[in-house]
Amino acid sequence: MNASAVSVPMVSLKGVCKSYGPVQVLHDFELDVARGEVVTLIGPSGSGKTTALRCMNFLEAHDAGEVRIRGALLGYSTRSDGTRQRESERSVAEVRACVAMVFQQFNLWPHMRVIDNVMAPLTIARGVPAEQARARAQKALERVGLGAKAQAYPAQLSGGQQQRVGIARALVVEPEVMLLDEPTSALDPELVDEVLEVILSLVREGMTMVMVTHEMGFAAKVSTRVVFMEAGRIVEQGPPATLFQTPKTERLRAFLRTWLSRQRQAFELPVNDGATA
Amino acid sequence: MNPDLIIEILPAFLRAAWLTLWLSVLAIALAAVLGFGLNAALQLAPRVTPLYRTIVWVVRGTPFLAQLFVLYFGLPQIGLAMDAITAAVVGLAIYGSAYFAEIFRACWQSIPRGQVEAGRVFGMSRLAILRHIEWPQAGRLAIPMLVNQAILVLKESSVVSIITVPELTMTAGTVVADTFSYLEPYLLLGLIYWLMALALASLGRATERLIALTPSPKA
Repeated sequence: MNASAVSVPMVSLKGVCKSYGPVQVLHDFELDVARGEVVTLIGPSGSGKTTALRCMNFLEAHDAGEVRIRGALLGYSTRSDGTRQRESERSVAEVRACVAMVFQQFNLWPHMRVIDNVMAPLTIARGVPAEQARARAQKALERVGLGAKAQAYPAQLSGGQQQRVGIARALVVEPEVMLLDEPTSALDPELVDEVLEVILSLVREGMTMVMVTHEMGFAAKVSTRVVFMEAGRIVEQGPPATLFQTPKTERLRAFLRTWLSRQRQAFELPVNDGATA
Repeated sequence: MNPDLIIEILPAFLRAAWLTLWLSVLAIALAAVLGFGLNAALQLAPRVTPLYRTIVWVVRGTPFLAQLFVLYFGLPQIGLAMDAITAAVVGLAIYGSAYFAEIFRACWQSIPRGQVEAGRVFGMSRLAILRHIEWPQAGRLAIPMLVNQAILVLKESSVVSIITVPELTMTAGTVVADTFSYLEPYLLLGLIYWLMALALASLGRATERLIALTPSPKA
């Protein structure tokens, strides 16, 4: 790898601000994601994790600051007088073509068969010939263990399978970065593992990822860096071992305590042992 | 009730029914295209929202009869004359288009935003999303409501009798004027409208079944 490839981050957010009406959800948000990194955003609800993630592919237009994908400005260019100019839909699409996304609610297209869902980014958006796209889509489906479900409709699959189709759809465009927005939050507990399994295999292959998750154990296992956010700001970040074992801020300690005590409650303290029934 | 009278007026009624049918079907088709276009413009360019709202407000908020009078009697005053049948078709098409547009808009709104976002993220243009993601779903959803509206347009076409289009309702009026019998012509008229409405409804159900994604039990 040459020096320039190392120095240009895959995703870079600088001074990004975002408000919804009077509520500011991101304050001067700064984050660089290097090639091969797996960055996990954690934090309480409303801390801006998902918004930060959605700014990385311009699903949310940032109010100020810069978002860059492999060095290229996303969404806005800067005029000579320093003001920003909104880029065309097409140029946004070009810059983020190497960024794929996996959604909390899967967001599959229910009127298309599984194979067509996975082909669509190639055929409809990129003009890949159908037969070539079909072969690539089939390969992506096999990659997530769903080669046999190509002809099914999304509604005929379990939540875990639907999310794996969502991952296959993201993989088919051969992305350089994957954004995962709470990929297991909408799943029944027993379906979570099959999805985490697939994500883990992508991590092992060296995929660059930014993930929002509440699966703290999984975050600890796969992340190269964990970013703890609150109220639109990064409170603390670092390798998972450091962050989870020696949190520096009281706020993160409190967040982890709440999480740990909930885990403990779930496994050690039956609230209703049947005695009162 | 005079069966002989019914037999006597039947040929004239059938001729008139044919006129009612084709001018209604033509108007419905035009209204559907116009309505689809109005909604598509709204979806592709949010800037047209005020224009869209104005059109829907005016067309939906005023009586069809008044619209028809403006079209047929009013426009000639500014040099835009058309014959009665053209005015009837154009009037019904404009009248129906606002309702069709709102049906399409409602069906478009029912598609989860996340599906559109997924389209954008994977590089589809707004037009491609409209065509490949929204339309196949919204169109299917719209059919029962479109059929409903089509039947309303069909029946609303009776109003064009007032501008001397010799369709079903005008023909019934003529028979009444000649014979002073109300029962036979209006029962026959009702039956013919009902049959045409039934045909539209059956056509709609057949279409629904034909394009259903998964076979559903026949309703």
